[in-house]
Order: sequence, then C-alpha cells, then structure tokens
Amino acid sequence: MKTALQQVFHSRKFVTGFAIFMAILLTVFLYPLIIQDEPLAILGQGNFFPPGIYVNIYDSIHSKSYVLNLKDAASKRIGKILTDQSRQDIKEWLVSYGVPEDQIDINDTESLLSQWEENYDSSISLPGMTFAKQRYFQRLDESVNGLLSSEGVVISEVNQETGNLDQTNTIDQSEYVHINEVANVRILPLGTDNFGRDVLTELVKATGVSLKIGLIAGVVATLIGLTLGLLSGYVGGLVDDIIMFVTNLFTVIPSFVLLILISFSIGQDNRGATTIAVVIGLTSWVWTARAVRSQVISLRNRDHVNLSKLSGHSTAHIILNDILPYIASYVVMALILQVSSAILSEASLSILGLGPRTTEVPTLGLMMNWAMIYQAHILGKWWAYFPVIVVIALITFSMNLMNTGLDQVFNPTLRD
Amino acid sequence: MENVILEVKDLTTKYVTRFSEDVYAVDHVSLKTAEGKTLGIAGESGCGKSTLALSLMGYYFAPLHYISGEIRINGRNISSMDPDEIRKTILGTEISYIPQAAMNALNPTQKVIHFIEDVIQAHNPKTSKKEIYELARERFEILGLPADVLQKYPVELSGGMKQRTVIATSVILCPKILIADEPSSALDVTSQKMVIKMLRDLMENGFIKSMIFITHELPLLYNVADDIMVMYAGQIVEQGTAQEVVFDPLHPYSKGLMNSIIVPENGARGVKLSAIPGTPPNLKKPPQGCRFAERCKYVQPTCKTHEIDLQESEDGRAYRCAFSQNYLRKAYKNG
Amino acid sequence: MKKYRNYFVNKLFWLLITTIFAFILNFTLPRLMPGDPVAAIMARIAQGMSNSTGMKEVYEQYAKLFGTNQPILEQFFLYIKNVFHGNFGTSFSQYPRPVSDIIRSSILWTVCLQFPAIIIGWLIGNMLGALAAYVKKGYDKVLMPVSIFVSNIPAFGMAVILLVIFGVYLRWFPTSGGYGFDLIPNASWKFIWSVIVHYQLPFWSIVLTTIGGQAIGMRSMSIYELNADYVKYSRFMGVKDKQIVGYVFRNAMLPQVTGLALSIGTMVGGALVAEIIFSYPGLGYTLLNGIMGQDYPLISAVTLIITVMVLLANFLIEIIYGLIDPRVKAAQSE
Repeated sequence: MKTALQQVFHSRKFVTGFAIFMAILLTVFLYPLIIQDEPLAILGQGNFFPPGIYVNIYDSIHSKSYVLNLKDAASKRIGKILTDQSRQDIKEWLVSYGVPEDQIDINDTESLLSQWEENYDSSISLPGMTFAKQRYFQRLDESVNGLLSSEGVVISEVNQETGNLDQTNTIDQSEYVHINEVANVRILPLGTDNFGRDVLTELVKATGVSLKIGLIAGVVATLIGLTLGLLSGYVGGLVDDIIMFVTNLFTVIPSFVLLILISFSIGQDNRGATTIAVVIGLTSWVWTARAVRSQVISLRNRDHVNLSKLSGHSTAHIILNDILPYIASYVVMALILQVSSAILSEASLSILGLGPRTTEVPTLGLMMNWAMIYQAHILGKWWAYFPVIVVIALITFSMNLMNTGLDQVFNPTLRD
Repeated sequence: MENVILEVKDLTTKYVTRFSEDVYAVDHVSLKTAEGKTLGIAGESGCGKSTLALSLMGYYFAPLHYISGEIRINGRNISSMDPDEIRKTILGTEISYIPQAAMNALNPTQKVIHFIEDVIQAHNPKTSKKEIYELARERFEILGLPADVLQKYPVELSGGMKQRTVIATSVILCPKILIADEPSSALDVTSQKMVIKMLRDLMENGFIKSMIFITHELPLLYNVADDIMVMYAGQIVEQGTAQEVVFDPLHPYSKGLMNSIIVPENGARGVKLSAIPGTPPNLKKPPQGCRFAERCKYVQPTCKTHEIDLQESEDGRAYRCAFSQNYLRKAYKNG
Repeated sequence: MKKYRNYFVNKLFWLLITTIFAFILNFTLPRLMPGDPVAAIMARIAQGMSNSTGMKEVYEQYAKLFGTNQPILEQFFLYIKNVFHGNFGTSFSQYPRPVSDIIRSSILWTVCLQFPAIIIGWLIGNMLGALAAYVKKGYDKVLMPVSIFVSNIPAFGMAVILLVIFGVYLRWFPTSGGYGFDLIPNASWKFIWSVIVHYQLPFWSIVLTTIGGQAIGMRSMSIYELNADYVKYSRFMGVKDKQIVGYVFRNAMLPQVTGLALSIGTMVGGALVAEIIFSYPGLGYTLLNGIMGQDYPLISAVTLIITVMVLLANFLIEIIYGLIDPRVKAAQSE
C-alpha cells in the first residue's frame, strides 16, 4: 500500500491535479478567515460593478492633499471623456443639427467643444433620433461641460445655523490623495454581480458549497454503486440478474432527465443544497455499480478468495477482507469522477432553474444561473460568469487528472 | 558439416520502461541453429526468453532497442539492414514467429483469410486473392485444419484452433526458421499435444528448415528440442544437447531447474522435486558478479565480485560458472 | 444472418422494456412527490394566478383527461393511451395552447441541432484521438493537456464562451434564437439564411464539447489497441504499417461506438443546456420555459420525449454496432 501511494505521487498527472485541487480547497478554507464578509451581502447599489479598486469620494475630499504637477494630467482627463467614439458622436449630432460637415474637425478638441456648447440644446429633438440616443447626448453634454476649465472644484457644506452653503475647501486640478490615507478603499477583484454582491467572496463560498454538494452526491452514489456492485458481483445468480437489469435500465434512461423530474417534483420549497446533492447521488450510481461488479467478478475466483471461503469465513468477512482491499483503488477513482460530475450536474440543473433554492448560500450553478438571467454575457460583464466557468473547469480538470494518474498506476495496461 | 541457418553473435538489446529505465534483457547472447534442428530455450519467466525471441528477428520498435551484435541468416547479416527492407524480405519469409499469447494474436475483427491476404501481399503485392486462397486452403488441409476456418473470425474459433491457425499462418511463406514462444503453455493437454505434433509436421513437410522453441516447461523441451540453451537474467548460463543439459546439467541454475521437474525418463527418477528458492534479480540494476549468486547453493565470496564469462568446451557445451565441470558434478552428486 | 436477427430482436425487446420503464418513471415520479400536478393546479388557482377561470378549465379538462379520480393503475393506462394519441394536455403557462403543439414546434429544432452536432463532434474527436495516439510526440504532449482542459469546460460554459467571443465581441453570429426575431418562418432564402446563421454557434458549441471527451477516449483506446498482441504479431509477419494502423483504428473505433450509445443521454443533457444559453427554440428552451412557468404538463411531455429520443438513438447505435462488429454475431451463437 505504501509503495502504491508513492507511485501515485510519482505520477505527474496525479500530482498536477492534486496541486490544483488542493489550491482550490485551501482558498475555500482560508479566504473566509481573511475576508469576513457575508458571502451574499449586498454591497453595491446597482448591478455589475466592474472589477477594480473603489475609493471613497467623501473620504478622499477630507484626506490630506498632495500637489503633483503632471503635464499630461489635463489631456488624460479630456481623453477619458472625449474618446474617439464620443467625438464622432458629437460630430454626428452637429451635422444632423445643420453645421456644415467640413467645418467640424474632430481632432481639434477646443473648436469641437465650442461648436458643441454653441449649438447643443437638450430640448431640441432631432428627427430620427431615438429616446435612448437623446438621453445619451444629454449625458455627454453633462460630462463635457467645463471639461476645458482649469478652475478647481469648490466644496461647500450646509451651515447648520444659517442654512447657507459655506465654502469649506477648493480642490485644484493638480491635487492628489495617497490611497493609503483614504479611510475607505474597497478592492473588488471580480466586481459585483447583478444584485451588487462581491463576486469573489460569493465565488469562494459557492465553490465550497458546490464541492460539498459534489462530495455528498459522490458518497451517496459510490455507496449505492458499491453495495449493488458487490452484491451482484459476489452473490451472482438471481441477485445479479435483478441488479444488472435495474442497472442497465438506469444506464440508458438519461440520468439528466431523472434529475429534472425529481427536482421538479420535490418542489421549490424543499430544494436545499443537501437535498439536491442526495438526488444527484441517487441518479448517478450506475457506472460505479458496473465497474465494481466487473472487478468483483474477476476477483471472485481468485485463490485467496477461495481459500477464505474454504476457511469458513462469512460472506461479509470475505467481502471486507478479501474483496474490498483489491477494488479500493477503483472505488476511489469512481468517487473522484462522481464528485466532479455531480458538480457539473448541479450547475446544469441550476441553469435550468431547478437548482438548490437557497437564500443563505450560493452555488456555482446558481451564480451561473443569475448571470445568465441578468444577461451578463450579452452585456459584456465577463466577471459575473467567466470566473465561475473557470472554477468549474479547474475542479473537473484537476479531478480528471488525479483520476488518470491513479489509473496509470493501478491499471498499467492502459498506460501511454 | 551441418548447414547453419541462423547464427547470432553477441546480441545485446534493451527495452525501456515507461519510467525511462533501461532493462538489458538480452545480454551478449550468441547462438546457432542448423538445418533440421530445433533449438530449445529454457528459463523462468522474466529471464529474457521472450525478449530474445523478439530480438532475433532484427525488427525493433519501442520499447525494444537494438544495442549491438550480429544476426546472420544463411550467412546474410540482417542486423545492419533497413527496417523496411527487413519487413519486406526477412519477416515471414526468412524468419517467422509464433507469439506467446496466440489467443490474441489475430485481429479479432478480421477474417483469417483476410489477414493471410495482408501478409502475403505485404511481400508479393501481385499475388491474387484467388491464388492466396488456394495456397492457404491447401496449406491448412495439409496441416489438418478445416478450410472453413479461413472464412471465420478469430472469435469464432476455440483456443486450440486459434493457436493452430496462428501456426499455419506463420509458416504460410515457408520461412527458413520459426521462432515459437511458449506456443502451447496456455492450452489444455489435448490441444497442447496437437500443437506439438503440428510443429513437428512443419519441419517434416519442409515448410520450415529449423526452429527455435522457447518454453519454461522442461519436459516438453526435452521432447521437442535437439539442443537446449538455458537463460538466466538476460544471459546464457548453459548450452548443450538436450540429453546433456537435462541429464548432466553443469550450471547450478540448470541443475536447480532440472530438479524442479519430474522427468519420466530413466536416470531422472527418484530425484526430489525442489523449486529454486528466491527470485531472479532486477534487470534494471543487475547485481555485480555472477547474477545467480544470490540464489546459488554453492556460492563462494568471489562469485559476487567477479564477472563470470561463458566457459565453452570443445564439444560445444558451454556454461557460465566459476567452478570446473568436475567440481560441479561432484557437488551435485553429494547433493 | 440468423445470429444478427437474434441480436436485433434482443435489442428491440430491450428498447420496448426501457420505453415502458421510461413511461412508468415519467408517470410515477411526479405523483410520488408532494407537488403533484393536480395540487400544482390548485395552488395556482389559490395563488390567484392571472388567468384563474382559465386554470379552472384546465383543471377540469385535466381531471377528465388523466382520470385523476380513478385508481392509479387506470390513470397509468389512460396516460399511455393519451401519449400515444399525442395528447399531453394543455400547457399551464401558455394556456390554452396544447402541449403537443408546443412540442411539435420545438422538437425539429432540437433534432436538427443535436443529431448532426453530436455525430460530427464524435467523428472529429475520434480522428483527433487516433492521431494523438499514433503521432504521439509533440502533438500528444502539447495538444492533449489542452484538449483535456477544454473537455472539462462544461457544455454551458463552452456555449457562453463561444457566444461572448463570436456573438458579442466579434458580432459574427447572432447571440440568440433560431432565426431573426423579425422574421416569420417561411421558405424564403432570407429565412433559411437566417436559420443557418443562427445555427452556427449552438452547433459548434455542442461539437466542441463532444470532441474533447471523445478524443481522450479514442486516444486511450488506440494506445490500448496499439499494444495489443495482434499488432505485434502482424508486425512480425511483415504486414505493412499502414495496414496495421487500419486494424488498430477500426478496433479502437468499435468500443467508441458503444461508448456513444452509453453516453448519448449525458450528451443530450449537456446540449439541452447549451440550447438554453442560446435561447434556441428547441426542447431545452421549452423545458426551461416550462420550469419557469411551473408548467407541469409541458415538463412531463418534454422529459418523456427526450427520454424516448435517447432510447431510440441508443437502439439505432446498437443496431449499427451489431452490423460492423463481428464479435457481436459470434457472441450471439454462444
């Protein structure tokens, strides 16, 4: 047994898979110790904030300011708002308003903006322009307003006694704050989702829950498969015939369909994460049963088993001592496959809207489901779904690698 | 002077395990077979017999690699030939082979006749299917196989029938030498007898000129072979006529092997059945000195430190032991 | 030929048993659970769903159609009779549209999408796997880990990735639907072109997910066959390498055919989810709508149809397999 384990850890495939899986598992355990947020706490008002660093504006105003004279600051500021696209849009508006096209130079910021200020009127509705487009130009007007000014911004507060606005501070264009001195800075490495929840925190929690679902489903499936496989392989005869008949039935009836039917029948209110896990386990034992059976049949007439029978050991004793140790590696491999396919099943089920109905914990499938319902993929909000796909792929990838590694060690005829 | 068909000199080959370790399973082996003779090769499993069988054909593919040595058929050196040339002009026509697991040696999804077509056309592309069928049918009938076997898939044949089909297929092109690797070990006694009889018929019918017969069953070897070679850990440890090696073994390993069987012939009766204790050395790291030293009853301290050469005597016998023939014979007599 | 007939009859009998079993499951599972269909209707009426008079009508029709007041066995036979008459009841969510009508409009989309996609994915995957086993160096080292990783991207993940790359960013193909939303199905070139364009992304996403698993399976089957005794024997008999490769791939393909039969259920499941991602008007999307609308008759009908389709596909593959593998015939004579 010791040498087998050593061999397993000599297999590069197994080690790679094991390392990836352990990294995922460690993150699931360690992350909540560092970031202690509720995984489903709604942080953002609005949906799909992009990933990045969020700096509190209020705190920035009150932080110590440093003057840095950077020469490209102004052009950067303009460039951020007047992109090539918005310059083109301004031209488009002006042309349809009636300014001759040859008088407009979109590369001359100053003249373009002055033409805009001169002509634009938000109350004018140009022919053929949709309402959305009109709103867009209004927003554009607001953002370009005062873009070329070199004046600072005046900060004022309401005086509690007089009710007037008192100027408390002015902020120059060349003032900066040090990010460490701002009291409230929040990093959202993966932004927020459709409900305004921190995607990373949610993802870590969801990974944990999905792994748990996978494990429960895998254990349930393996236990059923193992029991049926042992019974039909070892006892044989009528028992074997009956079990094989049932197994063959469930091999061809797609388990996916069974899963849908059962999940739907259970009803929305009863579908917890554990229930779903058990249901997945109940519908996916077939392959384990088949594999175990064929292994047991090949073991059944080996010398050591016959010897044990002749010594008058009970069936349970023989199964435990003379059969199980020899099929242990197959059972472990089957379990690994079951876990990874259960995680996939949960995800598919959730996308169909039949996933665990839970308000406390997310799962990878539910995150995918939410992202799809809110059209994150169409809207280009990659952070809401892409990390989920990557995590699912990494989990199944690592488990398959471990499995192939084990297979190479325990099943050397299939080597490469 | 007898006509030498196959002559091998100092052949060394290795195979590479999947952990990239070199195993020298054939280590400086030399042998000769003459027309009309059968050479038997004996040894425990894992001693390099099967690797030797593959190496003799001069056709190497991973994980087996050629290192050094010469293989001559009728004086023609094939070890320096181009692999495709060997495939076309040597395999099947000069040397042929019966594999160890003949049960699985035929492609399960191909009718026997179609495989024979592929074999013959690989050497003579112009032969027509009709000619091939006539040849195969005639050959099968001479060898006592029903012709309808040709139209069957291997799965439809019994174990013994499959084995005999493989033998008949192997000699379809009348090779000069046939290498049979444990051709009967997986069969029941009746099938075994038929296979052995068939192999004998091959030589009588002139389908082959000489044979190398590899087995771990010594009684069988004594019945079939004219000369016997004993292999241990990739090396030849004893060579001689069947009579000599079986009844007057020189190397302690040969002696042990002979003791481990009951030969129902005179002189061998009453010998106690005793297996040789211990296991063969790991060929990934062969031991220094005599490779049999660990298991040898007569071992001396120098055995483990000195490399021992094959000692050849003038009568054609050879053995790989530091002791003299007389010393060994005396030691065996005293038990 | 007699042996093959035995095999055929055997498989046909098996198809019959599995179909009956599928009917039983489809009938009993929902009835064993707390939310049985009648209760679901009552709940909808109680919740004051939009069309409560309509729902009452559905309920009465349902009770009559399925004989909900009769013993369970009679209900079952009634159910089977109804199914064979193509009568699946009335949809809850798309009242008063009959379920059979909804199914009829979506089944062709699914069949035309999944059948070719799975077959082509299977073929490409097998070719790549065989190539990987045979060429080994380089190809095997580099492409194999990549394709193992790709094959671990779930079907819906592949669908989303393709959709985002080719639909959202490159804008080469539309992101949803089976044809342009401004078109009405007809035989015009414009409509056919629209269908072809909409077909691409769902099709390739199913093909790609199928390829990975098949390639890996075919590769290990081929490696297994390349090490088989008959390969060694054929080589030593001087048979040409090209011919031996032919033997190997033929033999490695055969288990892949049975593999296809056994995994077709899983593949169809994955492909249904891919349909949902692309809002493709097939059974997957219909199923999603049914689930969203708590539409029991629709879900029941879709799952039954999918199961029967899978069973039929399975049967067809087994029949073809019996024709191409001589071992099947030999086994029948024992």
